[in-house]
Amino acid sequence: MKKILLLILVVFFFTDLEAQTYNPKFTGMYIGVPFERFVERIESESTYKFFFKKGDIENLQVNLQANDSDIRMILNQALAETGLTYSVDMSNRIWITKGAKIQIEFPKDYFLVQERQDNLANPGDSLGAFDKNKRFVIGKTADNPQSKTATLSGVVSSIESGKPMNGAIVLEKVDYNQVATDQNGKYQLTLPKGRHTIWVQNIGGFQEQRQIDLKGDGVFNMSIEETILSLDEVVVSSGALSNVNKLDMGVQSISIAEVKRLPAVLGEVDVLKGILIMPGVNTVGEATSGFNVRGGAADQNLILYGNSTIFNPTHAFGFFSAFNADLVNGVELYKGSIPVNYGGRLSSVLQVDPKFGRKDKIGGSGGIGILTSRLSLDGPIGDKTTFMIGGRTTYSDWALNLLDEEADLNDSKITFYDINANIQHSINEQNTLELTAYLSQDDFRFDPDTTYSYQNVNVALGWKHFFNDALEGRFTVGSDSYEFGIIGVENPLNSFDFGFNVNQLFLKADFEYRKSDKHIFNFGVHGIQYKLNPGRNSPYGSESIVLEKELDEENAREVSLFFGDEFTVSEKLSVSYGGRYMFYQLLGPMTVNQYVEGAPITDSNVIGEKTFADGENVKTYHGPEFRVSARYTLDNRSSVKAGFNTMRQNIHLLSNTSSIAPTDSWKLSDTYIRPQTGGQASVGYYRNLAQNKLEFSTEVYYRYMNNLLDYRSGANIILNENIEQDVLNSDGKAYGVELLLRKSTGLLQGSIAYTYSRSLMRTSDDPSIEKINNGDFYSSNFDQPHHLVVTANYELSKRVNTSLNVNYSTGRPITLPISKFEYAGSERVYFSDRNAYRIPDYFRVDFSINLEGSHKIKKLAHSSWSLGVYNLLGRSNPYSVYYTPVEGQLRGYQLSIFAQPIPFITYNFRF
Amino acid sequence: MNRLVLLILFCGMLLSGCREPFNPEIEPADLSVLVVEGYLDTEGLPSKLKLSYTQNIQTTNSYLPSYPSAVVFLRSESGEQYPLTDLGSGEFEFAYDIPENQNYRLYISTNEGRSYTSDLLQPILTPEIIDVGFVENELGVEVYLTTKGDENADDFLWTFEETYSFRPKFLSYYKFDPETADIVYRDQDERTDLCYRGSVSSDLILETSSRFEDQFVFRQSITQILKNDERLGLKYSILISQKALDKKASEFWEILRKNSDDIGSIFSPLPSNIGGNINNDQDPDAPVVGFVSLGTIRQKRLFISVQEVAPWIVYEPAYGGCFVEPDTIPKTEYAQSFASGSFVPVFPIFSEFNELEPIGYRGSPRPCTDCTLRGTNVKPDFWED
Repeated sequence: MKKILLLILVVFFFTDLEAQTYNPKFTGMYIGVPFERFVERIESESTYKFFFKKGDIENLQVNLQANDSDIRMILNQALAETGLTYSVDMSNRIWITKGAKIQIEFPKDYFLVQERQDNLANPGDSLGAFDKNKRFVIGKTADNPQSKTATLSGVVSSIESGKPMNGAIVLEKVDYNQVATDQNGKYQLTLPKGRHTIWVQNIGGFQEQRQIDLKGDGVFNMSIEETILSLDEVVVSSGALSNVNKLDMGVQSISIAEVKRLPAVLGEVDVLKGILIMPGVNTVGEATSGFNVRGGAADQNLILYGNSTIFNPTHAFGFFSAFNADLVNGVELYKGSIPVNYGGRLSSVLQVDPKFGRKDKIGGSGGIGILTSRLSLDGPIGDKTTFMIGGRTTYSDWALNLLDEEADLNDSKITFYDINANIQHSINEQNTLELTAYLSQDDFRFDPDTTYSYQNVNVALGWKHFFNDALEGRFTVGSDSYEFGIIGVENPLNSFDFGFNVNQLFLKADFEYRKSDKHIFNFGVHGIQYKLNPGRNSPYGSESIVLEKELDEENAREVSLFFGDEFTVSEKLSVSYGGRYMFYQLLGPMTVNQYVEGAPITDSNVIGEKTFADGENVKTYHGPEFRVSARYTLDNRSSVKAGFNTMRQNIHLLSNTSSIAPTDSWKLSDTYIRPQTGGQASVGYYRNLAQNKLEFSTEVYYRYMNNLLDYRSGANIILNENIEQDVLNSDGKAYGVELLLRKSTGLLQGSIAYTYSRSLMRTSDDPSIEKINNGDFYSSNFDQPHHLVVTANYELSKRVNTSLNVNYSTGRPITLPISKFEYAGSERVYFSDRNAYRIPDYFRVDFSINLEGSHKIKKLAHSSWSLGVYNLLGRSNPYSVYYTPVEGQLRGYQLSIFAQPIPFITYNFRF
Repeated sequence: MNRLVLLILFCGMLLSGCREPFNPEIEPADLSVLVVEGYLDTEGLPSKLKLSYTQNIQTTNSYLPSYPSAVVFLRSESGEQYPLTDLGSGEFEFAYDIPENQNYRLYISTNEGRSYTSDLLQPILTPEIIDVGFVENELGVEVYLTTKGDENADDFLWTFEETYSFRPKFLSYYKFDPETADIVYRDQDERTDLCYRGSVSSDLILETSSRFEDQFVFRQSITQILKNDERLGLKYSILISQKALDKKASEFWEILRKNSDDIGSIFSPLPSNIGGNINNDQDPDAPVVGFVSLGTIRQKRLFISVQEVAPWIVYEPAYGGCFVEPDTIPKTEYAQSFASGSFVPVFPIFSEFNELEPIGYRGSPRPCTDCTLRGTNVKPDFWED
């Protein structure tokens, strides 16, 4: 009887089998002690418990002397030549048996099912806690004993309503047998007899599990928790744990719905402003849509609309982003580990996903704001094709014309528009074609004499082909171009027309091959043909005597091959590794100055020039880029990730203003201006808190950059034939720590992002005409160490949504005049070392309310109002600081762009 | 409708931006940087070299530059030495006709024990100014200059000084004579009804002639005189100096100009550190500001009289509140009213019966009658009537 009891005890305690290193030492004399007395002594001195059959130890005496001995030594001695053996289990129980040792370790896979259960503790299954751990015995062994399998059937119903659940998945995970319930909640599953863990996954709900011991055919009904779905919106997310589980690090996604909730300048939903709430992303000022990622310059961001590179992503010299929010699905910013299929820029990739048309009906949306309006239309054309077309324009002219004279902007003019057209056609299940086209045009002037204009034109055609279940290919061909012009008519004799343009034709072939659950291979080739006209100045009007001047056109070719593997090593560890090899060739026709070797590149060191014929190779650069990252899951809710990648960039923005100006031109790498290169190492820790309601992440990074461009004093960028003489080859480094706490569920949503970062530059050791700040490291123009963004969004009701945005950052560095002197009849200023001072800190609070129209299904159009105040506190955040002599006295001024609270209102509709 | 006006106002605020005074805390760096200014004429025209030190930007009291005492000389590569004459206040005069086919260096040694040497200076012969003239446009009158560059002289710097004659709001030929306690005519040298006023402009005008066909710089704008400006109220004169610069000098002046003019607008370039072509011998890394050039200065003077631009209506804010007191000051009150000089007799009032002896004078405050408060009544030597 006692034996049976013991066995039951064994079964009962099986979950407690944890490795313990309990090893007490015993000292004492045991001479002629009966075994039972001996056992009592040991049990009183330790936590060991002995189990034995009384009959086995009758008349057994113990004769031994223990001197700091452990239990095994004592027992070996005590039981020697008695025919008894012992086993010590992990719970410090000692089993004494006659003959064979008692088996206290279970077969290796015995606990497999139970261990799985431990790993995947589910946050939601509070109701099923008991059912989950109970083992249900299904069927009778006597039924059909020949068959190795049995059929399990039953009904899945809701615990809350008791109603049967349609479409729930019933799953067994060892051999992956699964079935969905029908509309009556019924399911039927044939499984091998024996023990199983059965999983039930309700769509949109939590997974639940049941332990069963299937002995024969039987019925097993399950009641599971139902999740309440929101009425207006279903957010399809890749899982609450994606922050922790996904392999990428330094990736920030923002859906257009999130962007729309942010308070916007003039009510204009702006995806570029949306990414500024993320840690590690800064901007130098309000009137610039250029942004700086982890201490990189604004031109180091690859901005992709679909597959098209947008060279200037702004309207109205930076007040608005060039993306029409209605034509955008979402944006993803890669600032840490950049996937192998992206390359060509040093800092980051901003992927803006275009939106394609609906399949069910033709509809549209639009908005009317103070300065701009937008309209878009989308829907199906036939069964297989959808379209989406949208446009945006401004009518700010009327406002400018009515301005107060003091503003001195009566002659200002700002117009812009953009048009998007996206077409998707699915040929069959294996083949899909996508066409995206984008056009944006800007014209503006601040005085009647000078008119600026710029234009982006992008077209891309993509073909997605599924070769088989495992291999997918995407082929894209397209053209991206950007141009700007300045027309100056101040003096008819000097009137000029200046123009710049860059065009790139590209071809991409991307493949994704899912070899198994463990490997996803990405590989392919990207080719770009660049054609860049660095500047052309021609006379404007018949009276003008300006000489026509045109710089040599630049032509280049860039080919990159890439390969990457996302390797799931184990459930806990995933590694992504890969690389790109970039091959870049600058092609003739071109005339290149030759300089004295080892001497600074200056006009006086020119020793000749070399002419290259059409298509001749002028200069080749090539090199590898490495991308490695890894994720290790610590537990259900937290993980650590680390990554390292290197990048190369062949196209540079020439700009010696602190923000991106519309007159900044691009430059291809040439004989003297080498490709920018750099690398970044980062480590991050990710944790979900409060049952996945809060996501916390922190990342630390260090970057180095080479061949950056800075400019020597007095550099001239426009129409400079020998730009290599005016640029200074510079090195950069940046480092920082980013902290993000995000809540993306519930009535109150929002995030707190804090970044501490530095971005430094120094003139490289190459021979050069000038070493800025004596060749020491200095702050780059966008070195803003502290940056804090808080966004909060509160849903007062389904129709009223409020949001608050708080933004703080250290003032950007500035070169200040520190002393003055008299020269040429006026007081002049002497400037400090480059970027030795800072403008005052930046602080801004915005507030907005979104009012949704009624939720009636039948009405002409769904409408909403968004209104709010930008810069609620009216703080005059300085954009720049300057000194100017006023009546012979030097005075300092700070210039703010939004120095007042700016209210806005926009009417949005969709139909 | 009110709502619309509000919206417009918001846009106005938005786009006009906001300018506020800015006074940052700057560490009191005692930056005694030597500043050297000079374009030395190689054909004997007396030209000045100025030495001074930079001053902390927050020195708010009126500008009193500190300067070193120094010995300054120019030396040719062949060893010829040309000492500059110390005029005091950090100013030195150079008046030598030196050969242009040689290269030179300027040497400065201060009594503080520091010495400075310029880079090699190559004299540039500045081409003559072809023409100066003016043209009326919708803003007023524009003064222009035409010249032509050559293989040596490509970059030009133009500076100018202006002089103009003007009259006060009310012409008064009278003054109070304390001895007789009567009103008497002013002497010629005491006249206050016609004065001259002028200034050296701080504008720097730079242009590269190779931008134009045949290096012909045609009608380069020098200055713009806006409508109603007093300068053209009577007669105006402008002396334009043309200096040819080499590439480096032109860069220096361009930085100087950019650092004063172009800073602070939305798309302004970053300020540049200014240097020059003078080096500190003891500490080659120490900053020195200034670019000394050798060459010839070409000058041309232009006169514009009001007849040439008529009708030219002058509105001078300095005379905004001027009036002639309506009450006649009788002879008995002359001393009381006019003795201090702040109230000036403008014209006499006669009775019907006595046309020789006035019964009194009507007067006006002195700023409305006395042009010497704003200029000098001494006619400049170059003035042509």
